Amino acid sequence: MSIAAINEQLLRAIGVGIAVVRRKDLRFLFTNEPFTEWFGKPEPRSSLPDLLHDIDMDDVKSEMERNDRYTGELQVKRKRRTLIIALSISCASADAQDFYVVECQNITRIRELESMIDSYSAMVERNTRELEREKERVERLLLNLMPRSVYEEFKTFGVVTPQLYESVSVVMLDFVDFTRFAAAHDPTVTLGELNDIFTAFDRIAEQFGCERIKTIGDAYLAVAGMPEPSPDHIRAVANCAVRFIRYLDRRNQSHQYKWEARIGLGTGSAVGSVVGIQKYVYDVFGSAVNLAARLQAFAKPMCIVAPDEMKEFLVDEFHLVDLGKQDIRSFGELRLMRVSPGIELARKSRQY
Amino acid sequence: MAEALFDKYGGFKFVSRLVLSFYDKVLDSDQVGDYFDDVDMPRLIDHQTKFVSSLLGGPVSYTDERLKRAHASLNLTSADFDEVQRLLRDTLAEHGIAPQDIDIVMVEIEARRGSILADAAS
Repeated sequence: MSIAAINEQLLRAIGVGIAVVRRKDLRFLFTNEPFTEWFGKPEPRSSLPDLLHDIDMDDVKSEMERNDRYTGELQVKRKRRTLIIALSISCASADAQDFYVVECQNITRIRELESMIDSYSAMVERNTRELEREKERVERLLLNLMPRSVYEEFKTFGVVTPQLYESVSVVMLDFVDFTRFAAAHDPTVTLGELNDIFTAFDRIAEQFGCERIKTIGDAYLAVAGMPEPSPDHIRAVANCAVRFIRYLDRRNQSHQYKWEARIGLGTGSAVGSVVGIQKYVYDVFGSAVNLAARLQAFAKPMCIVAPDEMKEFLVDEFHLVDLGKQDIRSFGELRLMRVSPGIELARKSRQY
Repeated sequence: MAEALFDKYGGFKFVSRLVLSFYDKVLDSDQVGDYFDDVDMPRLIDHQTKFVSSLLGGPVSYTDERLKRAHASLNLTSADFDEVQRLLRDTLAEHGIAPQDIDIVMVEIEARRGSILADAAS
């Protein structure tokens, strides 16, 4: 068998569609089986455009002149399937004649796989987005239960180690006659009222550097100086406290239900930690918390009571009234004072 | 719920082969192939990838409502449905899915008969 014969055998046997056409008139000199299977058998005098209808021959010619090569894509309908054929035309010459060699590869499978990957990645991406949203929801929920820095520790290490804060302040608020109100009204009314007021308190707390730890029924507990230490924690709780009272005052002027609260402030040490394993609650314990709770119970309606030791931090900004020494359970005798807005704040309060 | 078949048989790596051979079979079928004559390839592949993934409990849910919409205009008959069901069964068997798992998939697809056929009684 001659080399030429072997070459021709090879061209016939491979899965790539091959056609050889004369350059000057694009008439077919040779086609192999895959080519004729996709584009049909050329008639004796037919030329390339007769079989490859969708190819713009002017494009081919200009590309060939520029690069000696043309690449393109064709679609051929075979039975029900649309085949996608990658077309590549290059120049060749022999015996002083110029030819175009037309190579065609069936890339249908590749395209089908690409489509499938597109489809699958769209599914996966959608799921990822949903998971992302779900994660954010869970995170938001956990952030309601504990301060962010505690949450970060929990996320990174899986536990929250109880931490002692030497110097923090606490503001504790409780409503006057809450039990009676709750008994006299529909629970949804009570809840709506609490929700409304506590939401406002949360905003105030956030703005003045306090962090709400929890609400127990009608009691509201916020701290300053933990988990992020702050030198200003005493002023922070006092600032919150006077604004809580002002908010209630203003609210009572326009709302159907009037609320009065007692507020106690405390300062000292406290431990913060997550309590529980399945049901996480971030909570604080310590003398500062106990003191605030006791003073809150001692306070008259719409009054804020604080221990005298806070005085030097508050005296510039707040109006302080000495309440003398009082016997406070488990604290013994303590000098107490009433805290109300200073001149500046009271003036602004009248303005707005 | 036990591990989804989708994961049991190796996830998308496996399902992609399943879908392509199912796709070939459906197109070559004389009973139902003609329905796909004018459907463009990416759409059909997309549909089948999602449908097969969803049958196997993969990361997609193909609602009955969507199935209904996709097939509504075709007026398919029970014979068409049976044929596709048979092709799917063959495909699953060829790819080495255990007979009891094939049964699970068959139950799943049977449950969608009403959504795929315009008139389930035909």
